[in-house]
Amino acid sequence: MRKNTLLAAALVAAATLTLSACGSGDDGKKPVAEVSVESGSSDKAATVLDKPFTKPDLVLTDTHGKKYDLVEQTKGRPTLIYFGYTHCPDVCPLTMSNIAVAKKQLPKAEQDKLRVVFVTTDPERDTPSALASWLKAQDPDFIGLTGDFSTIQAGARQLGISIEPPTKDKNGKVVSMHGTQVVAFSPKTDAGYVLYGEDATVDDYTKDLPKLIKGETP
Amino acid sequence: MRRGVRTRTGARDARGLATGGAKGLMTGGALLVAAGLVLTGCGSADGSAQTDAASKKPDLKVSGAYMPVPPTADMAAGYFTVTNSGGADELTSVTSDIAADVTLHTTDGGAMKEQKSFDVPAGGRLDFARGGNHVMFDKLTHRPKLGEKVSVELHFAESGTITVEVPVKAATYNPSSHH
Repeated sequence: MRKNTLLAAALVAAATLTLSACGSGDDGKKPVAEVSVESGSSDKAATVLDKPFTKPDLVLTDTHGKKYDLVEQTKGRPTLIYFGYTHCPDVCPLTMSNIAVAKKQLPKAEQDKLRVVFVTTDPERDTPSALASWLKAQDPDFIGLTGDFSTIQAGARQLGISIEPPTKDKNGKVVSMHGTQVVAFSPKTDAGYVLYGEDATVDDYTKDLPKLIKGETP
Repeated sequence: MRRGVRTRTGARDARGLATGGAKGLMTGGALLVAAGLVLTGCGSADGSAQTDAASKKPDLKVSGAYMPVPPTADMAAGYFTVTNSGGADELTSVTSDIAADVTLHTTDGGAMKEQKSFDVPAGGRLDFARGGNHVMFDKLTHRPKLGEKVSVELHFAESGTITVEVPVKAATYNPSSHH
């Protein structure tokens, strides 16, 4: 958390500097948006939470059409949870693929321990079979859950993830929302103690998964 | 120059919210403020340069295009960068043989928004990148395979059509990642 504060301070400083540079006779050659925001992203991808999240008490339907009790069925397992939808071309498949590729680099025994749960934010279109065919391309062992939107929304909210129900735009196209982070739950405490943003890469997950599997802090 | 500033801010902001901590929120806020200040502060000072460039013809170059292998044949995304060493232009639409429906989107805090067009600023650039602006290819004729090249036409208001052979890359390919 301290890093975040420092980053904010650095950014404010950067902005101030740029402003004064512009004010004192700008020659118009300088690019407008040259803010070195990216300098902060060499930080670790993982955000370790001071106050871990309790695992949401979600009972939904899995890709086999069976009841899935998240708390019960992931108890004592290292678990990654992400909220997204399959009609999502950009961030959702990237996030799941990053985790899938990183997972394959673990020893088999560790792969078997890990639970990766994709909860749809678009349950109307993401039926168990739609989820199954989408997830199969990423990793056949990934768990896909669907169910009542308000149940899913409430579960997401418990993890600080805000999602709105899908809406239709002017052209009648359905617009859904995905979460912007993956939450990692410890096998020791079953608490959600680490967050990954959507800019976390395969390398980030590859580096951190062995620790997450043991419930250690990455 | 980094046009990714706005989307990055969105991502950070969302992460801040998720932590539920005041510090996280402050970081997001500071980023927004920082970006806002810089853009406003310099905008007016650059006025003369913009005017000069605007009277010129646009001179566009498209680079770094790619399409990640999609998980199914339902839809795919495309990314590229347009650099402009001339006057202002506008990307008005994208078409391709591979998809019946191609649309332009921004992403902000987990929500996609369809856009009618994107500005290509004079002497500037337009970035399509993971987690930010993207082209959405819907109703694909087939699921593109790794190594395949997809022909994509970018239509600009001033420069007309630029055809790009877009290589299909791994699902995890992300040249804009900074880790």
